[in-house]
Amino acid sequence: MGNRSGSRSEVPYGTLDLMVLKTLDAMGALHGYGLARRIEQVAEGSLELNQGTIYPALLRLEQRGWISSQWGASDNNRRARFYSITRSGRKQLAAETQNWSRTVAMVNRLLEGES
Amino acid sequence: MTDWRTLIGRMLGKGRTDAELDEEIGGHLDLMTRDFERRGMTAGEARMAARRAFGGVAQIKEAYRERRRLRFFDALAQDLAYALRQLRKNPAFTTAAVLTLALGIGANAAIYQVLDAVLLRPLPVKDPQRLVLVQLRENHKALNFAYPLFREMAARQQVLDGMFATSDFPLHDPILRGRGPLHSARGVLATGDYFRVLGVSASLGRMFTTADDRAAAPVAVISHAFWDREFGRSPAAIGQVLEINKAVVTVIGVAPARFFGERVGSAPDVWLPMALEPQVLAMDWLNAPTGNWLTVMARLRPDVQAAQAQRALDALYQQLLDFTLRREGVRARHLDLEPAAGGINDLQGQFRSPLLFLMAVVGLVLLIACCNLANLLLGRATARAHEMGVRMALGAARARLVRQLLTESFLLSLLGASLALLLAWRGAHALVALASAGGGWQLPLGMGWRALGFTAAVALFATFLFGLAPALTATRVDVHAALQASWRGHTAGRSKHLLAKFLVVAQISIALLLLSAAALLARSLWNLRHQDFGFRRDGVLMVDLPVEFSKTLMARHNALRQPLFERMNALPGVQSAALSGFGLMGGMQHTGYLSSPDRPFQDGDLVRYIHVSPRYFETMGIRMAAGRALTAEDRQDAPKAAVLSETAAVTLFGGADRALGRFVSLDKRFNSKTAWEVVGVVRNVRFADPRDPFGMLVYMPLAQDPVPATAVMLRAPGDPSRLAASVRAVLHELDPNLLIGNVTTLADAIDSKLARERMLALLSTCFGLLALALTSVGVYGVISYAVVRRTQEIGIRLALGAARRTVAGMLMRDVGMLVGVSALLGGAGAVAMVRAMRTMLFGFGTVEYSLLPIAALLLSLVAAAAGYLPARRAACLDPMEALRQE
Repeated sequence: MGNRSGSRSEVPYGTLDLMVLKTLDAMGALHGYGLARRIEQVAEGSLELNQGTIYPALLRLEQRGWISSQWGASDNNRRARFYSITRSGRKQLAAETQNWSRTVAMVNRLLEGES
Repeated sequence: MTDWRTLIGRMLGKGRTDAELDEEIGGHLDLMTRDFERRGMTAGEARMAARRAFGGVAQIKEAYRERRRLRFFDALAQDLAYALRQLRKNPAFTTAAVLTLALGIGANAAIYQVLDAVLLRPLPVKDPQRLVLVQLRENHKALNFAYPLFREMAARQQVLDGMFATSDFPLHDPILRGRGPLHSARGVLATGDYFRVLGVSASLGRMFTTADDRAAAPVAVISHAFWDREFGRSPAAIGQVLEINKAVVTVIGVAPARFFGERVGSAPDVWLPMALEPQVLAMDWLNAPTGNWLTVMARLRPDVQAAQAQRALDALYQQLLDFTLRREGVRARHLDLEPAAGGINDLQGQFRSPLLFLMAVVGLVLLIACCNLANLLLGRATARAHEMGVRMALGAARARLVRQLLTESFLLSLLGASLALLLAWRGAHALVALASAGGGWQLPLGMGWRALGFTAAVALFATFLFGLAPALTATRVDVHAALQASWRGHTAGRSKHLLAKFLVVAQISIALLLLSAAALLARSLWNLRHQDFGFRRDGVLMVDLPVEFSKTLMARHNALRQPLFERMNALPGVQSAALSGFGLMGGMQHTGYLSSPDRPFQDGDLVRYIHVSPRYFETMGIRMAAGRALTAEDRQDAPKAAVLSETAAVTLFGGADRALGRFVSLDKRFNSKTAWEVVGVVRNVRFADPRDPFGMLVYMPLAQDPVPATAVMLRAPGDPSRLAASVRAVLHELDPNLLIGNVTTLADAIDSKLARERMLALLSTCFGLLALALTSVGVYGVISYAVVRRTQEIGIRLALGAARRTVAGMLMRDVGMLVGVSALLGGAGAVAMVRAMRTMLFGFGTVEYSLLPIAALLLSLVAAAAGYLPARRAACLDPMEALRQE
């Protein structure tokens, strides 16, 4: 993971997985670069991502069976691996989204209560 | 759903290769660089920017690799720990499964060990692939070599690395003197090049060489086993003196432990140089151009093809034939080279199909065991549907769960296989003992890497066989339903039940096959034992008197004949006693020519000479068909009198009565000067083997054609074996130096000839019963499962007033369907199997065919009983309770 500091957040552990799943769910099959670019676009510069870090994440997700991949041709006519979300990936996404919302809500309540 | 190949790939933790990752990263950087260029950067700037945005390529790769490794081993450790916990939680299931597997895998490993030793394993010598058997053939009939022929060929050939000749006949069981009481040892004469050509060097001392053979050096090489037995592995064995028959030899070397000679199944104790032959045997065979007694093997030169060598040797043989064997009128003889990497294998012909058959049987038993386990696991899968549902809901991938379940199966296999190795080790030895009863095979058995590898392969195969289908079925869970339903989980119930039924049908069909085979083989053995032998098999004790083939000893043996005959007949409790050259059902026999004035000897005739004392026919219970028996009146100086078997009388004279008073001679062509008068004809007997056809036999008085009498027979009412001690005492009294061999009853001697059939009948019966037991457990399991699955339905039926009998009947219809389908499948299989087995079956007729439906009936009854227990339980359900079960 990168070692930048400043106002932009580094990717907290675990959330990259969630972002990858969400992006694949929304966009369909993407190759690694397309995925990284999309995540950066959505974050609108508020996220500093070393694009390379998505590869270990993709492997981890695939090992769990949440995404699958196959080789295809990219727009520069090179071979590229395209990733797409699986059924159990969608389930996981649903569960994680809920979980995330709950966590965020809880943390918010906690923070508001303290201020 | 992902297809099964990816599923299995993922289960094995198959990840990306580094090359693939490189390609992916390369593509990624390219695309990014192009985007940056489009935004106006120069090519160099764009490349730098892309690299920066991507981060450290090397670090990423390392993290990726780490992830790949960790994932696999983590998961493996996790799976194993979890599987162990699961198995410990269900000790009954685990024990049943492990025992079933141990039996199944162990039987396979045991039979494989023997199969490997008998059929597959190459000789433990240098480069066995280049060894050939040099076989002399006359119209496809195999012949042995005479020594002069071998000597000439060995000296003149140019295509071999060397050739050697060995003989275990007539040096069959030479007598070893000077080491405790007289006993026989297994000896082999071998030409000097024997050890060099085989490429075997001594584990102690040295082997004999061509130089020793040429000089007729009185030396011996002993086997490792003999060294162990006689000398307690002392190095001082070298230089010790052995007295073998008349030869006095010095031990010069010990063969390696794994070397058992060139013949599979016979392990010699002593190897002697060929030149000692005249000292060890009664006559000089080394200069006899016609005595065919040698087996010849050779090692091909590396630069010579087998076909080329064969042509060269055959040409050489034809050339030599011209001046050595002209007068014999030899035609159509030629030399063959046969591959002999496995040595000379006499067992192979006899035991090849039985062993392959047994291998198939144990394979099927394992299949049944696997079906059973698969069914048990399916049952458990039902019980664990809830667990699976929870785990999937929590995000476990299906592949991961399948892998988890397979790990459990694998652990079961591993435990089963470890136990199986123990069983196999004992089993293989027991099998060899069973198969070689009377034959005394010496097989180097042992858990080598071949046997271990085979066991491991079988265990792994079994794991997938019984584990995969249940694992796939168990994980095909509808998460929603699984979480809502009670522990029983109706999830995928139908497909599970279908699979269970399929497994049971497979089991019953295979069990029917095995039971039929067992019934047929047992019947075949019965047929062999109870056929018409031509003699009365009960009430006869036979004593084997091994004889040394030396002139002085043979003379002494002959002098003993009359006193021996008288003493035996005088023994209390003995009805009658007789002597003969060689006994019935023994390994040895005299064969020769037989001709009448009208019919000369013909190629293909097999004529046995049986030298007998008076009272022979009476003692053996062989009935006269015509004329008289041979008596004490047929003395040495009386006219020569012979008795023919019915077959011989019919072949030579056209009938028993017509043979009386006619003459036969023991030559190829009738010669009135040496003719014997036919004084009687006796009923046919099976002489050397229960499977023998009724052949041509000539009985002649020992007094008129003296050969050593090596067999003493006594007929006594009741169990004749009680006479053994007094017979031994009499023999010892007659001559303390007399070597006494086997003392057995005739019935036992017949049985020992049927070792192969007994082994087949016994083992196939055991395995058939095992199959029956496993199958009934299988039927019980699947019907129990059906009852559980249909508890509610049964409850409703009962509540609506269905009779308990109807409910039980409904379930029994299921059993009937299963058994019916299986009986058809298995029956068809059994009929096909009978054809394949025909060569192993003796006396096959209608009675034997009727065994097939009997086997089917037996199996159906057992299956019905196994199904009846759970069906009755279902009928006894309390409808209220059944309905309450949600």
